[in-house]
Amino acid sequence: MKWIACELHTHTLHSDGRQTLQELAEGAAQLGFDAIALTDHNTMSGLVGKEEVEREYGLIIVPGMEWTTFYGHMVTIGLSEYADWREAMQQDIDRGIESVHRLGGIAGLAHPFRVGSPACTGCFWEYEIGDWNAVDYIEVWSGTFPSIQTDNHRAYRLWTDKLNEGYRIAATSGRDWHVQSDTDEPISVTYLEVGDAACAKQDGSDIQADIEKGASESEQESFAIPEVALIQALREGRASVTIGPLLSMVLEAAGESYRIGSVLPVTKMNESDEKMTATITAKLSVDFSVRPGQWSLAEQTFKLKLCSNLGEEIAVNVIDSTQQSNDTGTLHPKFETSIELPVLPTDLFRKWLRAELWGTVQGAHTRIAFTNAVYFESTAEGGAD
Amino acid sequence: MNALKLLDTQGRVTPEDSRTHIRIPFELNTSCSRLNFRFEYAPKVLEDREQAVKLLQDSYEIYILPEQREQANARAERHLPLKNLITLSLDDAQGYRGACHRHDPLQELFVSQHEASPGLMAGEVAAGSWNVTLSLHCIVTDICDYRLQIWTPEEADA
Repeated sequence: MKWIACELHTHTLHSDGRQTLQELAEGAAQLGFDAIALTDHNTMSGLVGKEEVEREYGLIIVPGMEWTTFYGHMVTIGLSEYADWREAMQQDIDRGIESVHRLGGIAGLAHPFRVGSPACTGCFWEYEIGDWNAVDYIEVWSGTFPSIQTDNHRAYRLWTDKLNEGYRIAATSGRDWHVQSDTDEPISVTYLEVGDAACAKQDGSDIQADIEKGASESEQESFAIPEVALIQALREGRASVTIGPLLSMVLEAAGESYRIGSVLPVTKMNESDEKMTATITAKLSVDFSVRPGQWSLAEQTFKLKLCSNLGEEIAVNVIDSTQQSNDTGTLHPKFETSIELPVLPTDLFRKWLRAELWGTVQGAHTRIAFTNAVYFESTAEGGAD
Repeated sequence: MNALKLLDTQGRVTPEDSRTHIRIPFELNTSCSRLNFRFEYAPKVLEDREQAVKLLQDSYEIYILPEQREQANARAERHLPLKNLITLSLDDAQGYRGACHRHDPLQELFVSQHEASPGLMAGEVAAGSWNVTLSLHCIVTDICDYRLQIWTPEEADA
């Protein structure tokens, strides 16, 4: 499996951005991104000629469009063609989401709590969603240094509420990138996990390496492979979001591994059954070596937390006294640890679990990274449900 | 060559028209090489600062949590000046030809076989029923006047 660094919310001068696709791609490549989604407002015309730009900058460009409507902005990516944003009624966004799905795309709520009209027209999410199962993702971190923004806190809480209600929804970041400009604020990355098969072409070579080398024209079709794989990864919630190190988590139970986005079956036994105490181990890793030179954090002890519908379950220190900043060009450590999840009393049930990394960034105590959830599914047995 | 004027229409909208679309159909009797559009609206900005702040504060009641409202009101300046936003999108008989979602109150646009203004899709300019849709995302001024002109650069075959 491989993590792909993505920027999922961008604009060009085909809507109200002040950059061409070339300028955007160049900027993204310089920041160490492997992929971007172009999500211009209400148009896909900026994607014309994207294959050439992909080759030039060694970057995957996923087609998309931000539905920029009167009652909310909805980021849609991975579509084969245009879906009409103008039909969306406040009580009937479900039909809009359906039209996106029909075209092979996925849909997410963009910056759902950003102040709306007249300050930012339609920016606040005011659609009534009939079926939250249809929502693929929520952009819980919008803009630069997103983790300290109060509107993003609300989005993060909405995501958590929906997980608690039992929905399986992914969470992403998006810079809502309109212009090339330097910023001192931390830039967030959504890492999507794709299988090795998606990265390998038929001849067994690495497609990422190929893109970087500049694949020949006859190999053009192969670019479609990781694009679809990225959409599938996000659809399934194989995502980890960060303003620095890459945080990942795998749960192990009864000899099986469950990666982020997957479903761990939990058999409910009779209260007296010994198997009730079967353990689940969380294998966690914080990789400080990603996107070398692109971010830095002050020397400190980070806090790694495991959170679920039951609240914060466990917190451990991540001590990395020498090299948690990766701007030195030296070898960089990967912090790894295994944590056994507490065995729950019989009246409590874990619906989902995610990892969060906390620390101090530019003087603010904040989330630095979070994984998407692993879900738990109760498979009733012996009438114990 | 004489330009062939296809449409020249004007209208006046008010804040009550916010969050509605105006569909403007037009017929292209013969295929042509290029379609030109000139779309403009005015005023762009709500100059009355007091009125603007009032509109913002009303919106914060909806969009901002009570505990953060006071701070938002104190920082209302960051959202000024308030602007009208009308965007144009285009459909030909086959379907969507793109949108120009940006704040410019004067937009001179075109579509042709191989080129188009940013936001619009190049391609055949075929005879048939076309539509311009004006999307009134937000009207903050008491009145806002728009004008849309559409023409082809050449005389259609008689």
